[in-house]
Amino acid sequence: MKVMVCPLNGPRPVSEFAYGGEIRTSPNPDTCSDAEWSAYVFNRSGSPGAKYEWWCHIASGFWFAVLRDTTRDVVVATYPAEAVRCGLTPLPAGGASA
Amino acid sequence: MMHRLDVQPGECLDRRQVLNFSFEGRNYQGYAGDTLSSALAAAGVAYLARSFKYHRPRGILSFANHDSNTLLQVDGVPNVRGDVTLLREGMRVSAINTFGGLAHDKARVLDRFARLLPVGFYYKAFHSKRLFAVWERMFRALTGLGEVNLGAAREATPKRYGFCDVLVIGAGPSGLSAALAAAENGAQVALVDESLTPAGNGAPAALLDAVHASNAITHFPATVAAGYYADHWVALASATHMTKMRAKAVVFATGVIAQPAVFRNNDLPGVMLAAGAARLLAHYGVAPGRRVVFIAANLEAYLHCLEFHARGVPIAAIVELRAAPDDHAAVTACAAAGISVLPAHAPYEAICGPDGAVAALLVAPLNVAGQIDAGATRRLECDAILMSVGWAAAAQLFLQAGGSTRFLDALQQFVPQELPSGIFAAGRLNGVYDIDARLADGRRAGSQAAAHAGFGAPSSAVIARSKRCPSHPFPIIDHPRGKNFVDFDEDLQVKDLENAAQEGFDSSELLKRYSTVGMGPSQGKHSNMNALRILARYRGIGVEALGLTTSRPMYHPVPMKLLAGRSFYPERRTPVDAQHAAWGAVWMAAGNWRRPEYYAVSGESRAESIDAEVHAVRGAVGIIDVGTLGKIEVHGPDAAELLDRVYAGRYSDLKVGMTRYGLMLDESGVIIDDGVIARLGEQLFYFTTTTGGSATVFRELLRLNALWGLDCALMNVTGHRAAFNFAGPFSREILQGLTDIDLRDEAFPYLAVRSGKVAGTAVRLMRVGFVGELGYEIHMAAGNAVEVWQALCASGKPKGLRPFGVEAQRVLRLEKGHFIVGQDTDGLTDPYEANAMWAVAMKKPFFVGQRSLRILQARGPRQKLMGIELAAATPLPKECHLVIEQDAIAGRVTSVTHSRTLNRSIGLAMLSPALAEIGRDIRIRVDDGAMLAARVVAAPFYDPKNLRQRVDFRS
Amino acid sequence: MPYRLLRFGLSRKHPEARMFTHHDSMRTSYDVVIIGAGGHGLAAAYYLARDHGIRNVAVLEKGYLGGGNTGRNTTIIRSNYLTSEGVKFYDESLRLWQDLAVDFDLNLFYSKRGHYTLAHTDSAMRTMRWRAEVNKHYGVRSEAVDAAFVKQGIPTIDMSCGGHAPILGALFHEPGAIARHDAVAWGYGRGADRRGVEIHQQTEVTGIRVQGGRVVGVDTSRGSIATPKVLCAVAGFTPRILDMVDLHTPIYVHPLQAMVSEPVKPWLDPIIVSGSLHVYVSQTARGELVMGASLDPYELHSTRPTLDFVEGLTSHMLDMFPFLSEVKVNRQWAGLADMTPDFAPIMGVTPVEGFFLDAGWGTWGFKATPVCGKTMSHTVATGRNHPLIEGFTFKRFADYRLTGEKGAASVGH
Repeated sequence: MKVMVCPLNGPRPVSEFAYGGEIRTSPNPDTCSDAEWSAYVFNRSGSPGAKYEWWCHIASGFWFAVLRDTTRDVVVATYPAEAVRCGLTPLPAGGASA
Repeated sequence: MMHRLDVQPGECLDRRQVLNFSFEGRNYQGYAGDTLSSALAAAGVAYLARSFKYHRPRGILSFANHDSNTLLQVDGVPNVRGDVTLLREGMRVSAINTFGGLAHDKARVLDRFARLLPVGFYYKAFHSKRLFAVWERMFRALTGLGEVNLGAAREATPKRYGFCDVLVIGAGPSGLSAALAAAENGAQVALVDESLTPAGNGAPAALLDAVHASNAITHFPATVAAGYYADHWVALASATHMTKMRAKAVVFATGVIAQPAVFRNNDLPGVMLAAGAARLLAHYGVAPGRRVVFIAANLEAYLHCLEFHARGVPIAAIVELRAAPDDHAAVTACAAAGISVLPAHAPYEAICGPDGAVAALLVAPLNVAGQIDAGATRRLECDAILMSVGWAAAAQLFLQAGGSTRFLDALQQFVPQELPSGIFAAGRLNGVYDIDARLADGRRAGSQAAAHAGFGAPSSAVIARSKRCPSHPFPIIDHPRGKNFVDFDEDLQVKDLENAAQEGFDSSELLKRYSTVGMGPSQGKHSNMNALRILARYRGIGVEALGLTTSRPMYHPVPMKLLAGRSFYPERRTPVDAQHAAWGAVWMAAGNWRRPEYYAVSGESRAESIDAEVHAVRGAVGIIDVGTLGKIEVHGPDAAELLDRVYAGRYSDLKVGMTRYGLMLDESGVIIDDGVIARLGEQLFYFTTTTGGSATVFRELLRLNALWGLDCALMNVTGHRAAFNFAGPFSREILQGLTDIDLRDEAFPYLAVRSGKVAGTAVRLMRVGFVGELGYEIHMAAGNAVEVWQALCASGKPKGLRPFGVEAQRVLRLEKGHFIVGQDTDGLTDPYEANAMWAVAMKKPFFVGQRSLRILQARGPRQKLMGIELAAATPLPKECHLVIEQDAIAGRVTSVTHSRTLNRSIGLAMLSPALAEIGRDIRIRVDDGAMLAARVVAAPFYDPKNLRQRVDFRS
Repeated sequence: MPYRLLRFGLSRKHPEARMFTHHDSMRTSYDVVIIGAGGHGLAAAYYLARDHGIRNVAVLEKGYLGGGNTGRNTTIIRSNYLTSEGVKFYDESLRLWQDLAVDFDLNLFYSKRGHYTLAHTDSAMRTMRWRAEVNKHYGVRSEAVDAAFVKQGIPTIDMSCGGHAPILGALFHEPGAIARHDAVAWGYGRGADRRGVEIHQQTEVTGIRVQGGRVVGVDTSRGSIATPKVLCAVAGFTPRILDMVDLHTPIYVHPLQAMVSEPVKPWLDPIIVSGSLHVYVSQTARGELVMGASLDPYELHSTRPTLDFVEGLTSHMLDMFPFLSEVKVNRQWAGLADMTPDFAPIMGVTPVEGFFLDAGWGTWGFKATPVCGKTMSHTVATGRNHPLIEGFTFKRFADYRLTGEKGAASVGH
């Protein structure tokens, strides 16, 4: 089983975590077009690559950000949720292989 | 014929302990320590099985569970590996997949039709529409192996978790020295080996002693490393349990697998791999025959030959495929012992004797180009043929670990090329064959693995690969009449693979899928290498250009019981579970919880009980345990802001001491949950979620709170707090007798929340109306719930109280027109469609789903949730019966019941917009196709003006 | 023994031609390029050539023919869906399946076994009835049945499932079937090949050239080719191809795993699915039990197996069939499922002219192979969506008109 290094709880088996999907930035709902909004709601960046994702350590209810290579299932780095608010370093367009 | 010799030095048998068993109905004896195969071989049983396709007799081949020749049915268990299963007293053993027993198997006739059964023959015929079913029945009867005992009980085996610094797989010379080197560097080592007999495989005794003396090495004998999973997580399967081993580094010392020579009738009983025969001799004292021929293409053949000779097994000849044997002392010693060697000869055909086993071998000269001179065969009388022509790397686990390999022509073997982090290989897997080099390579790998795990400095030794080639490049001899088997599991001959390639299946993956080579129980351990060689020859390219097929767990098949372990199902019970049981609760599942569906009363039917429960609530008082609802507290200055953003309603203007319904949407505007939100203080809210949604809603709120960085904190108190709904016209007066809270309407209006005590216990009381009567939801610490329940029941009983279950609640809420998320809504229902826009504050600056609702509003609803009513005499439709309009589906009944209170049948239906008008007649199609008439009506059906929430109201 | 096998006995040389012509090189241009030589891509090629007379077609495959999800699924064929769009579509597929073996002259072992979707909760029972009612409306043979019916149809099952999840009833779908999955790809491949379609294995698409909003060509690992029409039928690799034409969809990719037991004598006739226990199982003509469960819990573009999967699935299998304790798991594997939010596919024309999509096949694509071939060949040939795929269009998400098929997924995801 994969091991996930949680910023709060240290290395734990991945079965203790819930995956929260890719971290995506919402367009401004008041100014964006319907098309932009529906694209945000439904579309996903489905291609493999390095992605920022939400993960939650279920038992402690701790959400954090993970930079993960979705081709090889390798966790490159983890960040506390504050990092999401402060802005994560943008990845190269289309995702990059870590 | 195989037979038992006198006691052999180092054998694994306890000959004082005789074990009785039966095979195919006949009684036999073996010794303690025997495997099923060794005991049957010792008893001179010529063959143990019939082959999968042609039902040819088959005997021991690898004696290592690398083929399916010795799969047996043992005491009702199918497909038991005879080679590696210890004999026990009283075992009842039989062959599998025979029709009328092993000796008289009626299906053996198939062998004669082999020419009509080319590769993939079942794709080429039997598919006429008329007859396929008949043929299919025949195929299903013929295939399959052992028989499942349908009466067998579930076996729950334990699982263990193991942790180590270095896991070494394989306890041969390189594995042992790797384990010792890692241990000496300070690492905790786990050493796994599948063999039943003391491992070692030729390692020096001093090394074995040192490994066993080391406290840092944990041994897993008779244990298969069944699969490698991410981050060095390895499934170790023994006969009794699975250990899930987490390692920091793994050394693969998995060695090599002996490969057969491919020649006509190479599957006759008596034709064996020399390595297996050598183990059978040394460990079990079983000689393969009385006149043995070796087929040799490597040095190991001569080493084995000397061993057999030393133990008194007569050797008829060595048939050497190469032009000349190695320049080695063992070869000289064989010559000195008078054993004749036929260099540049190949086995051409094994001859079957009257007992179905081998009686002779025809050999023929082989020229340098690999061509056989079939006109110059000579016959060697023999009763056993032992093959030592080459090896295949046991790279399966290494490949699962993400390693890559390349094919070395000089060694005729795949060897590791790229090693992922923490993965090491040692010994013959690496192409290192001589004993000293294997030991040195093990030390190197063990040291490097330990260093990877943080212990000591890594060895920088470079161990050279073998200079001699241990494997023949093409130990495959064509024969015009075929029956030269490549895959014994699947009965595949050389021509089958060539014909498959001819039909276009000429890559290793396609060849596997069409011919099924390597797809049998032994997963190609004895067949994949030769199949690749045949395909490479067919295409005129090198083996390297083809590559291996993907390796997947399991390395050896693993019984489901070991993988399943003990079933573990958490079941949640509310604190008054025993009280429910005492009232006669009939249970239903609600997520992980169990809840009373209704309470059975003797003399009442289910329907009568549910009716009576409804009646009690409408006419007197009832109590329902709603403790399974999710219960969450949010504290802090931004608590109201958080709720404003995640629920569709507005909570920032909710007065302290009041509650409000909450509807939760997802980003696309779909209803996903609901509940009641109570404001207990300026900065404290307490709210409920649906039973099924509690964990996911709480988790999503945590995420949104983390994302938005609001100044508030969430606490999931679902398990901490119990909750009852106490409802009915008498609820206030009964409750007032138990509480210090002022329940008068002016002090405690509808939808208010108060804190205080009930029956001496601190509670939160909410005046809610879900069931449509005056009622109070009572929330308290779970530890005090029993007292409160009992006090309420005791006080209520004289007034006619009944506890009510989920079914009665469904009726009550339906009479009131309330929908249930997930039953009356589906995965695409938005608040417009559910008529729930009253719970949505579109004017708020933001809430989840708001922007999508604007789009949905413009799009218009695709369906509408409406009340429906059926005439009293009409039979009740079932939930999910369809509304049909002009022969098209125009809706679905989502809830329906007969309301005794209203004396009519009512329900909710999701209707197409055209039908969603009050007064519209609709038709519902029921099970037998009949159409029921119904009418769209306004909901709520019961007490539409909410008069019953008035404390002074009396019906 | 059928007469037609005699020729193998009588002939010295194996009397069988190649199923798939080997082409040393590609042409410079094709009328249609299909990306992906799985069942769907080959079926589209077959029907383009057979029904629409379009034979100048190349099917490009980066691996080997049928090596993706066509060869990795658990081969279940059914039409007991929930939405009108779904039921009509899959039922047409079922109809096409019946004749394929004869059309191909290749035995697909299409075997009608009956299909039970077990319900362990009353809400599951409601969903079963919903599906049954919609199915029956369109003439599909499905019934919501009670526990006694289940016990009679599957006498070996533990109705209490180890005491953990008592079976209340099921959706019984009589036409439910299994087939030999690889052979489907081979049959379509051979049929297309014989009609002039070129199948190029080991040929990876590296780019799609678009000029003025129209497809003009495809770049591959073996060079560039010109074409006005491209059909993308690559399942879990769809997002990578979509990136080449700058299209965005809801598709996300999770692995879906499966496993197979050793062969045992037949004891299980029907196909069994349990949403609550996350199991689907059938027994093949070889005697193996083919078993699957729910999707892996997070995005991944690798087919690595997990131990959790076999642990969970074997445990639930033994809940239903406790006597399998000693039956051995032989092999596990995975495919890449291209999931959509409404569990319905994304098919047809796209905003890029000449670029057609057959994607979003998640965990449910195998059964649709024939009808996808039929409808996509029509769509590619005419440039207009086939009526049967109107519920599955690319633009339905922007329009907030999803096709809610989640309730008919075999197991909860």
